[in-house]
Order: sequence, then C-alpha cells, then structure tokens
Amino acid sequence: MLTLAMDKKFIPKITVFHCINAFSETSWSSVGGNDVEIKFIKLPCSSMVKDVFLLRAFEAGADAVAVLVCPEGQCRYVEGNIRAKKRVAWVQNLMDDIGIDGRRLSLSNIAAGDTAAAIQIIDGALENLAELGPNPAS
Amino acid sequence: MIVAEQKPLSEIKEIVAPYKKILILGCGTCVKTCFAGGEDEVAVLASALRLACKKDGKEIEIEELTIERQCEDEFIRESAPAVSRNQGVLSLACGAGVQALARRFAKTPVLPGVNTTFIGVLERQGIFTEECSGCGTCRLDIFGGICPVTRCAKKLLNGPCGGSQNGKCEINPETDCAWQLIIDRLKALGQTDNLRRYIPPKNWRTSLSGGPRKLVREDHII
Amino acid sequence: MSTTAQSRFQEILSKGEFAVTAECGPPRGATPEIVRKKGELLKGYVDAVNVTDNQTAIVRMSSIAACYHLLQLGLEPVMQMVTRDRNRIALQSDIMGAYSLGIKNILCLSGDHQSFGSQPDALNVFDIDSMNLIRAVQTMRDQGKDMSGFELKGPPRMFIGAAANPFADPFEYRVIRLAKKIDAGADFIQTQCIYNMDRFKEWMKMARDEGLTEKVHILGGVTPLKSAGMAKFMTNKVAGMDVPEPLIKRMAGVPKEKAVEEGINICLETIAELRGIEGVHGVHIMAIEWEEIVGQIVESAGLTPRPQSLKIYD
Repeated sequence: MLTLAMDKKFIPKITVFHCINAFSETSWSSVGGNDVEIKFIKLPCSSMVKDVFLLRAFEAGADAVAVLVCPEGQCRYVEGNIRAKKRVAWVQNLMDDIGIDGRRLSLSNIAAGDTAAAIQIIDGALENLAELGPNPAS
Repeated sequence: MIVAEQKPLSEIKEIVAPYKKILILGCGTCVKTCFAGGEDEVAVLASALRLACKKDGKEIEIEELTIERQCEDEFIRESAPAVSRNQGVLSLACGAGVQALARRFAKTPVLPGVNTTFIGVLERQGIFTEECSGCGTCRLDIFGGICPVTRCAKKLLNGPCGGSQNGKCEINPETDCAWQLIIDRLKALGQTDNLRRYIPPKNWRTSLSGGPRKLVREDHII
Repeated sequence: MSTTAQSRFQEILSKGEFAVTAECGPPRGATPEIVRKKGELLKGYVDAVNVTDNQTAIVRMSSIAACYHLLQLGLEPVMQMVTRDRNRIALQSDIMGAYSLGIKNILCLSGDHQSFGSQPDALNVFDIDSMNLIRAVQTMRDQGKDMSGFELKGPPRMFIGAAANPFADPFEYRVIRLAKKIDAGADFIQTQCIYNMDRFKEWMKMARDEGLTEKVHILGGVTPLKSAGMAKFMTNKVAGMDVPEPLIKRMAGVPKEKAVEEGINICLETIAELRGIEGVHGVHIMAIEWEEIVGQIVESAGLTPRPQSLKIYD
C-alpha cells in the first residue's frame, strides 16, 4: 500500500475549485503544514468549472482536484451546482479513459462558511491519494 | 445541423499514434452545436490526449485551432500556417469538412476525430434527433411535416406497419412511431384524407442511391 | 375480388368454403428434406401453406425455393414476400420467377426490421413498401405490365394477399388501412393471431360497415398457446400482440402438464367463433415450429376433410 511518505517525499498537490458562495479562502487556515500543497481557484458559480479547467489542473501537476459547490437547491443561480455535478461526472469518466483514474476528481456540496466540512473534504482527498498515488501524468 | 459524436479517446489515440506533432482543428458550426468539435471540445481533447500520452510515456505536441467552418475553402485557408507546422491534422469537423481539408492539404494526413451521423435538430438541451435523410424529393406537405423516409425505420410511405404499438416503433421502445406522429398531426390539421391516399413508390434517383450529388448554381458562378 | 387470378386457394375461397391455411418456416440451411417433412405434416389439413420470407430477419432458405419444394409434394404454397431485403427490381423478378415455377399465391409484407434478426449489421432495403408491392403485383397480373410499364411476356397471375393487424394501429385508422390495401389490390387478408376476440369482432364490424368484406376474403389468424409464459411473452415482448389478462390467467390456472391442452382448447374455441363471424372466410393457423399440431387442430375443429380442387391451374 502506498504511503504518503515515500523515498522521495511525496507532497500531494490538490487543486480546489470553489464557488465563492460556498467557500471563502480567507476563512481557511493551513492544514497539514508542509505535507500538502493546496491551490484555490475561485469561481462566481460552480457552474463555471469547465471541463478543460479540470483537465488543465491535472496537466499542471495536481494529484487530486476537489470541486466545492453549494448544497442542492441552494445555488444562487438555481442550477449551477447541478451543471457542475454533471460536468464533473463527465470528466471523471474521461479521466478513466485517459488512464489517470477519475477518483482523483471529486465534487462535494458545502454549506457557506462550513470550514470544518472543507477540512474533511480535503482530508478525504488526501486519503484517496494514499491509495491512488501521485498523478501518473505529471 | 449535422450531428456528430466525438470518437472514443482510445480510438483517437490509435489514429494519432504515428504522429508526434499534430494539429487538432475544430469547426465552429454544426459540430460546435452538438458538442463534438467546437473550440471547447478541441481544448478538452487536446488536454486529454496530452495527459494520456504523458501517462504512457509518449511524446506528443498538440496545437489547437478552430475555424468558422471546415466546409468552405475560404476558412480552411486560414488554417494553412498551422497545418504546415504539424505532421498531421486531427479534424473534429464532419466528414465533409475532413474531406475538404484533405483536398486543400493533400500532402498532410488529415484524420477524422468524430463520427458523423445525421442531419437533425436540437429536441431540447442535450438531445439531438435525426430528422432528414436528404432524399432529394421532399413531400413533407403530404405527411403533416413529419418525414416517414427518415423517421420511419422502414421508410414506409403508406404506413404504419403492424409493429406500431402505443405510438412507439418496434425497433426501440423509446423511438416514436413516425406514422403515429403523422396520423396525430394530420388529425390536428384536419387532413386525415391524406391517410387514404395511395403513395406510389419513391423515386430514389434524387437520393444518394442515385450516386453522390452535386448542386450547380450557374447564376452564382462567374 | 379478382377474376384474373387462378389458383386452387382462390377457387376454394370464391366457392365460399371456410378455408384453412397454415404456416411453414423454411430451415436455416440448404436441406430440402426439412421442408418436405413439414409439408407432409400439413398435407390434407390445409388449403394453402404460407412460406415465410426470412421471418424476424433471421436468414433462412428462400421462400421461393421452399414454396417450390412444397409444390412438388402437391401442396398449395403462398409465397410470403417482404420488402426489407429486396428492391423493386429483385421483387418483380422473383414474382415472375415464382409464377413460372407454379407458385400462384403471394402475401405482401414490409417485414420485421433487420435489427431483430440474425445479422443486424445488414443494410436494409425498403425501396418500396407492402402497399406498393400489392399494387405492383396487381398491375403485373391485370395489365401484364411491370413497374416501368413494360409489357411482360407472360403476366404472373398471382392471387394477392396482405396482412392486417386489428390489434395495432390507432383504432380509427385500422379500417382505412384495410380499405387502402384492398384498393391497392389485395384479394385476401390474413390477420395477426387473435386472442382478444372482442376487439377482433369490433374490427370485423367496422370492416363490414365499410363494405370491405364484400371486396376481400379475410382469414383470422390463430396461434395455439403452449404455456402462460408464452402468453405473457407475446403480449409484452412481441409488437402488435394483444393477449387479454383473463386468457393469461386461464393458462396459468391449469397445471403445467395440461397447459398445451388448454392452449389448444382456446385455439379451438377461437376457430369456432371465427366460423360464426360474418365476413370471415377462413382461419390461418400459425403454429411456429410446431407444424405437427396443425393436423390435430384442424381435425378437432371439424374442418376435415379439406375440399379437393378439380381444376388444373397452369
């Protein structure tokens, strides 16, 4: 089983796309210290997360990508989070076809300002990476 | 519009395997509207291919470009510099576009990236349906605006067949029976007399069966 | 009803006899003996035998060839012809060829879509539909001309049949469709197998009201059920079939060993009812791959012996 500590220290890179209504970076305080690199990309609505952005995040070296969206029924723009969900599912499939495992990409609903949930989601992604290992295409 | 579907990634990988430097050329008209080959799709495919090749330890350099239409030389010429920079062109246009490209760039391999399927319409967001098969002799006036040549699986002109049940076609429970639609439409139009009309055998000479077709408009040729 | 057709089957119907026809499916191979065996099972019990044309789009020995083998046995074949696999050129050609071999009855159909069959990758034809085919045969017979207007050296004087399904189509359109087929040239009609007798009677009434029973011979189709499972399958999975719930219950209500007997009883009841319906001139027994049961049914229905034709048709 792969562990995060390997010969060359594996520092997982996670890119987080988030809707500004669901999450704010200013409320975030570093988690995991130097053991993880997190990049935040904010969007006015999670529906703006285009397929190509997700893929380019992996091209840029991300090992995992998490998309944070508002809870269903609470999207400020009504169906933005539903569109994001559909797109993420589509890209997950494509990632399986590419051979880099769609499980690296995840979508989670998060209530505005729920930092604890955000931490849980990132932890979840890290746990996943313990099994998946680094991005094979980086 | 012409509706096409992008080929599976595995098939595209095989098609571009012999090349190290390719141009993915998109088309901004029909294939853009059916999400098969517009600018966005070019970007996604390029990214996916790069990731797949990186993962397999293969070298590939991909240039991305989209032109207005690949069925007109005027636009095709705009891609000439990009084409000359690459070993092969993966075209995401319909089959007509791919061939038009190949005509102009006869020395560069032009490869198809989509499977062109039908002439159709957007039924609703995300759903495209086949409506016209280009038979060359349109009689939609008799059939209440619903084409039995295209939408009836057996091309019946004096339908329906015995397999029509609950308004659905025998070949697929999700396919509407075109003749049920025609009957309903003619009823709504008060034209059910059309149903009593014997429609004689179709002249297929104007269709693809008569050979690949050509339209010449002398009034536009100087 | 045509006066230029000449066939034994036509003679029996025009005499007002209650006719009996059955079906024979050709083998999936080139062995004529299989056809002959089926023919022997039917001989003496039927006035004519329909030979199917790649039914359900499963590749079988051609209808025209199997008809010829039955003809050699002394049976009266009805060649079924679908428009799915052959264009007008091939269809007209085969009609002339069949007639030249002594085949004098034809049933014109569109045919099941090839996606149901054994080679669904095949390209279909459907150059013309069954209505066009009926008209084409009528023109060849009555005017001696093919579809291009060419005067034929010997017109095929076929007795023309078509299929009707009282259980498909929208209700109000069914009789229009029947009228259209008769106008196109149909001399006889064989219906889809009947389980819903009420609905069939309604359809017959509509046909009588339109005066259609004066213009065409209608034979009611029957298929003996073998089990409750078969009844359910037919109504759920086969397009254009209507098996009413009471009938399914009846089949399910008998022990398994008695199911076949019950199915035959239902079939005999249906035939008895058909004999009493004005405008029904016969029964068409479709016992798919169960030709051996036809004789028993015909006998139990009191329909033997079958009339012998005295005329020679050539």
